[in-house]
Amino acid sequence: MIEIDEKKLIRCPVCEAVNIDRGANSSCRRCGCIIYKHQRFTTQKSWAYLITAIIAYIPANLYPMLTTKQFGSGESSTILGGIVMLWEHGSYPIAMVIFFASIVIPVLKFLILIYLLISVKYPLGKDKRVNKHKMYYLTEAIGPWSMIDVFVVAILAALIHLANIQIIAGTAATAFALSVFFTLLAAHAFDERLIEGRV
Amino acid sequence: MKLENEDALDHYIICRQCHTLHEEIPIREGTKACCSECGGVLYRYDSKLAEHGLALSISGLILFILANIFPLVQIEILGHEQFITIPKTVLSLFESGFYLVGLICAFLVFIFPLMIFLIYSVLFALLKMEKGEKIIKDLLVLLSHIMPWSMSDIFFVSILVALVKLIGYAQIHMGVSFWALIGFVVLDLYVTRNLHVYEMWMLRKRIFFKERENDRD
Ligand SMILES: [Zn+2]
Ligand SMILES: [Zn+2]
Repeated sequence: MIEIDEKKLIRCPVCEAVNIDRGANSSCRRCGCIIYKHQRFTTQKSWAYLITAIIAYIPANLYPMLTTKQFGSGESSTILGGIVMLWEHGSYPIAMVIFFASIVIPVLKFLILIYLLISVKYPLGKDKRVNKHKMYYLTEAIGPWSMIDVFVVAILAALIHLANIQIIAGTAATAFALSVFFTLLAAHAFDERLIEGRV
Repeated sequence: MKLENEDALDHYIICRQCHTLHEEIPIREGTKACCSECGGVLYRYDSKLAEHGLALSISGLILFILANIFPLVQIEILGHEQFITIPKTVLSLFESGFYLVGLICAFLVFIFPLMIFLIYSVLFALLKMEKGEKIIKDLLVLLSHIMPWSMSDIFFVSILVALVKLIGYAQIHMGVSFWALIGFVVLDLYVTRNLHVYEMWMLRKRIFFKERENDRD
């Protein structure tokens, strides 16, 4: 018989087995994955990825996402410009989808991650009322959807390259894809155990 | 909380959404256990998990291959016809010099989804044959690592968005792959929602621990 403190139980992020928290370098009893190898660096790593993502998000919004070349004349549009254009043409649902995927979700994800990263270091007031695990779960679930605009540009560029009309992906596509990629990395690097403040 | 040994922790599960600790209880065939705090699904019980999983993952593989070899959509614009396939979409990114985006897209919509269904097929086949305890473990770990990076469903929604953008400029015809991709995405969603790695770990334990106990007798 062994006595275990229920608060010392953690979930393996890889195989979901319940483990006893042994602090640094404990490996999962079922899958053997090291649960907290970079224990001391978790927030730093997550911060680094997050800041890279935010920096990449700036050119993603400033540079053109796609360029339409029609009979020799080119027309570029940024993410925001594209949304406005769609809205003016009356494609409201698509404008909303792109707006959510390219603006709302990335910004929301930045804010939630910043909040979580700050709140694990400096406990904020009223913290108890928010289920931070649920918040984290939500960002993980909705995060990938921000790739929509990059995929759309890739599809349009592949589909439309005729002699007279061409759609070419813009610099922003690279920046945006990088931003999404680093946000996902930041979320994955974020140690869920930090939320409980057990470090 | 008192336990016999550490392995007894297998009878517990922590909710993946809200991190509440629950004790695992036996449930009826075909039902699921939900978290009392947040309502999220904890686990399901399916005595034919390996058979169902194998059938689903092989159908998934077939649909994935179909979705990749035939034209996805065909458009008619100013008298010219153009079509795309999934590999062509990724390749055209490389051709226009977008190596990084091309690489990211190749992994998200092609390599990872394919790998996931290949791994599922091998996993369920091994579980069915009750062989390869060690390989099953390695594959399950690999599967958990690449699962969050598969984006077929998002790619599919992107196709719809791109097509709606083209309405009015071009005539659009859906290709064979379009329907295969719908099938694949539905299967992919069903499999990731319903055949959770947690259940596969439980099945692995049931199979190989039973075997070990039989050996001892
Ligand atoms: Zn584990
Ligand atoms: Zn829950």
